[in-house]
Amino acid sequence: MNKNKVLLREFNMQKNMIIMSIVAGLLLGIIIPSSIFSVHAQNKIIINGAGATFPFPLIDTWRVDYKTIKPEVDINYQSIGSGGGVKQFTAKTVDFGATDAPLTAQEMQSAPGAVHIPETIGSVVAAYNIPSIPDKGLKLTGEVLGDIFLGKITKWNDPKIQSLNPDKTLPGDDIVVVHRSDGSGTTFVWTDYLSNVSSAWSQQVGKGKSVAWPTGIGAPGNEGVANAIKGTANTIGYIELSYALTTKTPFAFIQNKEGNFIEPSIASTRAAVAAQSGALPKGDQPWTNVTMVNAGGKDSYPIASFSYLLLYKELSTDPNIDEPKAKALVDFIAWAITDGQKTGESLNYVPLPDTVVKLDQDTLKSLTYKGKPLL
Amino acid sequence: MSSKERKNYRMILHEEMKKRYRTRIITDNLVTVFALVCVVAAIIPLGSILLEVIKNGASALSFEFLTAPQGSIGSGKGGIGPAIQGTIIVVGLASLIATPVGVLAGIYLSEFAGNGIFPTVVRFLNNILTGLPSIVIGIVGYVTIVLFLGSFSVWAGALSLSIIMMPIVVIVTEETLRIVPHSLREAGYALGISKAKITMNIVLTTAKSGVLTGIGLGIARIAGETAPLIMTILGTSLFFSGLEGPVDALPLRIWRLASQPYESAHAFGWGAALILILMVLGMNVGLRLLARKKGFTVRAEA
Repeated sequence: MNKNKVLLREFNMQKNMIIMSIVAGLLLGIIIPSSIFSVHAQNKIIINGAGATFPFPLIDTWRVDYKTIKPEVDINYQSIGSGGGVKQFTAKTVDFGATDAPLTAQEMQSAPGAVHIPETIGSVVAAYNIPSIPDKGLKLTGEVLGDIFLGKITKWNDPKIQSLNPDKTLPGDDIVVVHRSDGSGTTFVWTDYLSNVSSAWSQQVGKGKSVAWPTGIGAPGNEGVANAIKGTANTIGYIELSYALTTKTPFAFIQNKEGNFIEPSIASTRAAVAAQSGALPKGDQPWTNVTMVNAGGKDSYPIASFSYLLLYKELSTDPNIDEPKAKALVDFIAWAITDGQKTGESLNYVPLPDTVVKLDQDTLKSLTYKGKPLL
Repeated sequence: MSSKERKNYRMILHEEMKKRYRTRIITDNLVTVFALVCVVAAIIPLGSILLEVIKNGASALSFEFLTAPQGSIGSGKGGIGPAIQGTIIVVGLASLIATPVGVLAGIYLSEFAGNGIFPTVVRFLNNILTGLPSIVIGIVGYVTIVLFLGSFSVWAGALSLSIIMMPIVVIVTEETLRIVPHSLREAGYALGISKAKITMNIVLTTAKSGVLTGIGLGIARIAGETAPLIMTILGTSLFFSGLEGPVDALPLRIWRLASQPYESAHAFGWGAALILILMVLGMNVGLRLLARKKGFTVRAEA
């Protein structure tokens, strides 16, 4: 090997070393300054939460809005579903959880000291895709919905549906039922309603975040159900109102307790909650049996529900929470249930009635960090 | 035999061969066409995926999109800065863990282990590890690290991804080292070089390109993983704030954005998908450049 070749090889090795050190440098360059930065910003507080998909757009907007009020507080909320929210809250891997279904007695036992803080209200609509009825406004009753989801009514022009909609031409095609395939707060609200209005449903299926569906096809998330409905003719499924409005999916008007067919909307949902929220438990009591479905009142839409934030009454129960974080967390929620509600309406979220805001404020006042109240 | 006669004879021979082997020639042509059709059929999905991603994602790209944290979900403001940063950190950390372990294990299996019971068991388990669904590894990461530390963390994500990457590096390293001709090792022995030096300076250097390809394959695989990250890093709308906290990653962000009802969120998702593809592509090109070397090289057929 002559001298030139040796030099060339050395040069090549050097080149490789240079490339490798650039790669390593880049990596360290990203990690180290960020770590130093996070150490420097000691007074910066990061609050991690996870759970229900339904309130995600609302909480995500709060995150951005709250940053302008309290720049030192960073909120991070990830939508992993109500089931996941309860699990992570119980495992104390997040600072707060969120769920559309109140904790069951069993869940309360594995998360002792949990409090429910209703932070917004949602309603679930029966969305459909019938080629001859491109607009919203098909009229349905709870009983008929129960029969459809039980697989007892199988054709769109079934006399039971046709008699409710004398002005509409219904096709003679089979009804395709679409339901959620994942554990979901939306499913809880929907099955809670069906159990309430159809005794056959409550005996055969019951209510829960996921149930044994007698018929239909499953799709994941509101998005999955909405897409399945959009993409398949003669389908019916259930999705969140705000989701249906944003994606412009047609939905049914549903008969309420007083016999009126009600269009799901912010106003009709609010009416339902106003009619139903008279006797709510305190934040630290079990909420298992709280339900907003099939509410009285002539303008009430019958399929409504609270969405809850979950916290521990004694916040130091979660080892991730120190005192400044506990204070910041409680301050944030106190803001969210009052000023934050104004943001909700533009996003199709129903603002909390005053009685519920008052209830939430009392709950927040009862929260402590190592025995010390925070508000 | 004159040259003319020879030429004639050759032509006659050629004609005769054509006649005799007609069916073979036809079969040959048919199979060639079939193979070409198969190649095109294999490229169509790749091409259509790339086209679709570029078509939908290119419009989302901007400086703000690449550097800013996400604005509120429906607003269409901000970007995916935390996801890009998080992917670099988590995947970088995972490959820093998996590469040395994987390469060393591969060297052991190829050069030192022989065919005893232990290496056979290691190979068998390693093969099982490659086939393990990534969500299972995510759950393992969740149970062992997230629940143990009490919070979602960069560590949990990086360790889970490194478990996915490691067997790929082990297999490719072992296979590549195995096809290094034995004569090269023997040449080293003949010069009285120690086995360690032969392995490092002769075998590994010869197989460098193949080993780097294996590492590249591993990184490309984990860069696109979503399932193990759901269970380990949670995701965040904020920039990296420490190894013990949640972090974001591109595949996770794409998945979350896709399940939102907002068009702007979907546009962000397409943009993020484009960035992810470009990052993996860039990393592969970078590794290729690093692996380029004159002289004798051995590549893995992976």
